[in-house]
Amino acid sequence: MTSVTAGCVQLTLPGSPRNREAERMTTTATTTTTAAHRAGPAPVVSFQRVSKSYGAVRAVAELHLELYPGETVALLGPNGAGKSSTLDLLLGLRHPDAGAVTLFGTTPQRAIAQGKVGAMLQSGGLMEGVKVRELVKLARDLHPRGYPLDQILATAGITDLAERMVDKLSGGQEQRVRFALATAGANDLIVLDEPTTGMDVSSRQTFWGAMRKQAQQGRTVLFATHYLEEADEIADRVIVLHRGRVLADGTAAEIKARAGARRVTFDLDEPMDRTALSGLPFLTSLTVSDNGSAAGSGRRTVRIQTQDADATVHALYGLGCYPHNLEVSGLGLEAAFIALTTASDTTPATAQETAR
Amino acid sequence: MTTLIKLEIIRALRNKKFMFFSVIYPPVLYLLIAGGADRKPIPGMRLDMGLYFMVTMAAFGAMTAVLLGNSERIAKEREKGWVRQLRLTALPGRGYVAAKIAAAATVSLPSILLVMIVAAAVKDVRLEAWQWIAIAAGTWLGSFTFAALGVAIGYLATGDAVRPISMLVYFGLAFLGGLWMPMTILPQWVQNIAEWLPTHAYAALGTAVEAGGAPHAKDIAILAGYLLLFAGAAAWLYRKDTRKA
Repeated sequence: MTSVTAGCVQLTLPGSPRNREAERMTTTATTTTTAAHRAGPAPVVSFQRVSKSYGAVRAVAELHLELYPGETVALLGPNGAGKSSTLDLLLGLRHPDAGAVTLFGTTPQRAIAQGKVGAMLQSGGLMEGVKVRELVKLARDLHPRGYPLDQILATAGITDLAERMVDKLSGGQEQRVRFALATAGANDLIVLDEPTTGMDVSSRQTFWGAMRKQAQQGRTVLFATHYLEEADEIADRVIVLHRGRVLADGTAAEIKARAGARRVTFDLDEPMDRTALSGLPFLTSLTVSDNGSAAGSGRRTVRIQTQDADATVHALYGLGCYPHNLEVSGLGLEAAFIALTTASDTTPATAQETAR
Repeated sequence: MTTLIKLEIIRALRNKKFMFFSVIYPPVLYLLIAGGADRKPIPGMRLDMGLYFMVTMAAFGAMTAVLLGNSERIAKEREKGWVRQLRLTALPGRGYVAAKIAAAATVSLPSILLVMIVAAAVKDVRLEAWQWIAIAAGTWLGSFTFAALGVAIGYLATGDAVRPISMLVYFGLAFLGGLWMPMTILPQWVQNIAEWLPTHAYAALGTAVEAGGAPHAKDIAILAGYLLLFAGAAAWLYRKDTRKA
């Protein structure tokens, strides 16, 4: 399964002998990005080759990352990909073993003390024995600027909860209060760790609306998530983390495209050699199934994932076969994401090919 | 920062159960210990039981409220992740410690006053007006030292360990500082150690006033020194705490 070409998506393959080469590719690409931004504003967040291990577990491995003002960035990855560790390092809750993390050109601690950061943690509890309004007011007053209280409550959709005791909230309500705390200070950078966990669909929609509003006001928003639709819908930049490294960095559309995110489905009447099909260009996966309903007819359904549907279909006709019911459809980010992460988990042989 | 202090005080006042027991417990203990005592001076001292224990029980009660209350609540808040969340705001470490001390002081003041009222009403303790005021103020201000100690312990210990540790510190300091029995009946070597403990200095503020004099400068210095030490440690631990707990 090869799924990488040069471009916005960089695949780094841990454990492979060609790893160095892959890394060099990543570095080159990053340098280009930096150059492109050089004329623009300085990065809000910068990770320079940051590593962090817990005992033998390498949570973050030479992570190189820069976020620019006004970006809405999704940090995407399966559990254990290093999302929470990355956010902890970013917020100065943990210190890197190697490399440097800077926020607004200074240390995370100093940036936070200057009131530039609003954050919502997955593990962040709330103060008990106080009303929602009192707690939000506290978060607002702790920062140098800050919105009017009623506006914060309205934006987070918790106006009706204002007089409620914090101890008496449901999981989804608590999340919205946490969001209010993270945004109360009118901070330049907002960091949210899996913000919609425990929310139902409708409150998630409201929440996304609130998040977009923050982004429109020019704030930099970084959120970790494993809800792929969230990354797809909200973020203008998606960073896929895998095993503590940046696996892919680009827009949701780019990642989908680069991960072989087109599905081609068709039926074949005539017998067709499977190896001939698997030799089609830009193929990332192939399944052939006998069509059970039309027993005896010999019709089979072929499902293909490809990086370039046009080229694949063109080559298909070139094989001399006549596909029926041809359908080409886009894949969701989810499938792209699975393709990316499984690609990097494959054998070193495939990995070498990929790195080349 | 003032919002946090206000909020911590409101929260302490809302916690009716904790408030009730913290306030009731010292006068009850006072009556149990000094209730049946006569008016003869304690051997080696000029004060009788009623006077001596009014000061030490007020001190002990204040210490209970601030030390145990603070350490346990902070350990719990750390466990729940609230402190972690708070650390991501622009709040400086000293603001957190100040708020916790303020909340503790809100609970300790009524318990101190109640011991004094009970002493006056039941044991007929009679003092000059300035003595009452000086004892109340001294005992209240002195409790800040133990509130800061409570914050520091809440940061050193986690969940399950916090109670045994704070209990050990609390009983050890109370006993060795002479809050339960006058120091004069303890062996000399214990007295030598006790002299430098914050609890001894704490009780000595009040007893010096009862004896008709001003609190000793040495005791005030010891208490202030411990306050700086504990508050500094607490603020440092607050900022440094990176454990998820």
